[in-house]
Amino acid sequence: MPPKGSKKGHPAAPKQTLVLDNGAYTLKAGLVPGGASAPPTYADCTVIPNCIARSTRDKRTYIASQLSSCKDFGELAFRRPVERGFIVNWEAEKAIWEHEFLQEGEGLRCDPKETNLVLGEKPNCPRELQRNCDEIVFEQFEFAGYYRAIGATLNAYNSPDNSSLSALPQECLLVIDTSYSDTTILPLYNGQLLQSAVRRLTIGGKLLTNYLKELSSLRHYNMMEETYLLNEIKEAVSFVAPSIQQFSKDLDRTWKGRVGDKRPLDSSIVLDYVLPDYERSSHGYARPHDPVKFRMRKGLQPQQGPREDLLPLGNERFAVPELLFSPTDIGVQEAGLPEAIMQSLNSLPEMLKAAMFANIVVVGGNALIPGFVERLESELRMLVPSQYLLNVKKAEDPIKHTWLGAARFASQPELLKEVLVSKAEYDENGSTWLVKKFAGGSK
Amino acid sequence: MPHVEVLPNSASVSAPGWTYVVDRGYDPSKVAINPKDRKRAAARAGGARTDNELSARQQTAIARRIAELSRDNDPKQSIPIPGKIGVPKTQNARRIIQYQRQIKHWLDDEEAQLAQQQAAPEPRRAAQARRVSTMISMPATPSEATPAPTVAPYTQSQSTASSQIDPLLSIESLMPPPLDKAEIDALLAAPPLSYAASHAAPPAPGGPPQRHFCDNCGYWGVIKCLKCGTRVCGLECKDAHEATRCLKWA
Ligand SMILES: [Zn+2]
Ligand SMILES: [Zn+2]
Repeated sequence: MPPKGSKKGHPAAPKQTLVLDNGAYTLKAGLVPGGASAPPTYADCTVIPNCIARSTRDKRTYIASQLSSCKDFGELAFRRPVERGFIVNWEAEKAIWEHEFLQEGEGLRCDPKETNLVLGEKPNCPRELQRNCDEIVFEQFEFAGYYRAIGATLNAYNSPDNSSLSALPQECLLVIDTSYSDTTILPLYNGQLLQSAVRRLTIGGKLLTNYLKELSSLRHYNMMEETYLLNEIKEAVSFVAPSIQQFSKDLDRTWKGRVGDKRPLDSSIVLDYVLPDYERSSHGYARPHDPVKFRMRKGLQPQQGPREDLLPLGNERFAVPELLFSPTDIGVQEAGLPEAIMQSLNSLPEMLKAAMFANIVVVGGNALIPGFVERLESELRMLVPSQYLLNVKKAEDPIKHTWLGAARFASQPELLKEVLVSKAEYDENGSTWLVKKFAGGSK
Repeated sequence: MPHVEVLPNSASVSAPGWTYVVDRGYDPSKVAINPKDRKRAAARAGGARTDNELSARQQTAIARRIAELSRDNDPKQSIPIPGKIGVPKTQNARRIIQYQRQIKHWLDDEEAQLAQQQAAPEPRRAAQARRVSTMISMPATPSEATPAPTVAPYTQSQSTASSQIDPLLSIESLMPPPLDKAEIDALLAAPPLSYAASHAAPPAPGGPPQRHFCDNCGYWGVIKCLKCGTRVCGLECKDAHEATRCLKWA
């Protein structure tokens, strides 16, 4: 249960609530009407890049959703207000919020003075950053009411079968949030986070993209300035090996062999990614490795007609996402995700632990990597006591699922009323009070 | 020509500059040191160096690489905000919007503050800090708002009654004991961990051995460059390694 709000001094609930899951890579945002209406769905959620991008080639700067009009992603540089999952740079975040929610234009628009804000944050946020956030929300944007919560915890308001709207949170739920900034493990009891059992892995989508960028640059072309492209390639070709045994087999199948003992690359795994030239194409695509075409890449292409630049992808396809299961592969001294989940749950009473294993939901963009959830489940099965039920579910839309939980929470006035803080209350009590209140310390 | 060292037990190979490395299974003392964790580093400093152990130079290089891979923004690039900018409405807002700090600075502040609180603890805080730190052996987050909760360690004592029942006759005996209300309340009241303390611990000893990969092609790193300690899969990749990254690691 979220912290109880004070019973007195609540404003008449404004008409609508802006529900915002403020991720490092994308904002997930949508307006939830105040009155009775159909329960929110994924379709009510807009995904917006949370960045300001600048191209040295067309000399344009793109704010957030403007990125969809970009055609040339070459050497595109990014400024991201969120670092490690927390809003750090308010100059940029403010510009993005203003551009996406306030200024004249199409899409999601609101007048903060007539709108509540439900803002999802990552767990273990430094207090000073929470305070900065609260001050900006009330003093700069002047939202009418505000609730800041650990976004992933609101997944408890998604019903297990993802259909009905429930005022009661799921009793025991283990949320695995594997997103751009990192991967966090959050055991929830009646929707409330068991803080001492939260665990985090450094490995997230950002690190995987940067790792693929580093490997491709070392092995093929210098692509260190091509973050956008490498992210696109990662999303197109990555998969998680089903087991460490299969990982070893795949590593063999993608090895070039030794001098004097060359092996053909197994084209059931090795792909050639046809790189975009940003003239005729803005996006690339992958196809099975073709040794003939691949050799042509090395200076033998026809002078006339289209030429292709190919990036071969072998063990990179599965060795990169493997970091989620084996961070020590690059020297990060953390257990892989299944063992980290055990570390988290082993700190809980046995009964809770058993209930958590029976109800695990995976959210966040990395859940979309083929094989991820299957590998997680099969490795967990080996670690979880055999008499316990294990149920690992991938959210139907892992990117929007946390937003949906928050929107379902916000669509129920009796729930929202309990936690909303009004601008008047903030003006009276100040930001130190508010940080404590949202931490559950001031009742 | 790099220095050649032939490891005992290694397959005898008469080629200069590299050697086969025999992995003798998982040994936590051979795992790279997390530079954040000074305690663990110090504990290992006295031990004898083994063939597989990383040099201080390599550890620094690994830490630098991980920092690079985890970076959110490139400090060399400054992208100005385009278009019209709404003016800050209060002093607080002005100050916050002007911050050019990175996450590292905020996290360092948090850790420094915690260290300070632990160095000069109020009696109540001291007790709590010890309790939390035994749980995950990292700095704890003292809470100003909530009194130290007492999380009772889970014990089997509650199951004594059911253990007297013949396990073959009772499914309940497989079930964990019911939840203890005080225990739950303590868990729910526990303050958040600090960011640093929230990280997963290293893998338990006895798990799968540390894997080593070829620094050039990503295949198994079965031989070791004696110049810098990096693993490669064979002569071809060793040449490529020496031509590219070998000096970077130095
Ligand atoms: Zn190699
Ligand atoms: Zn070397």
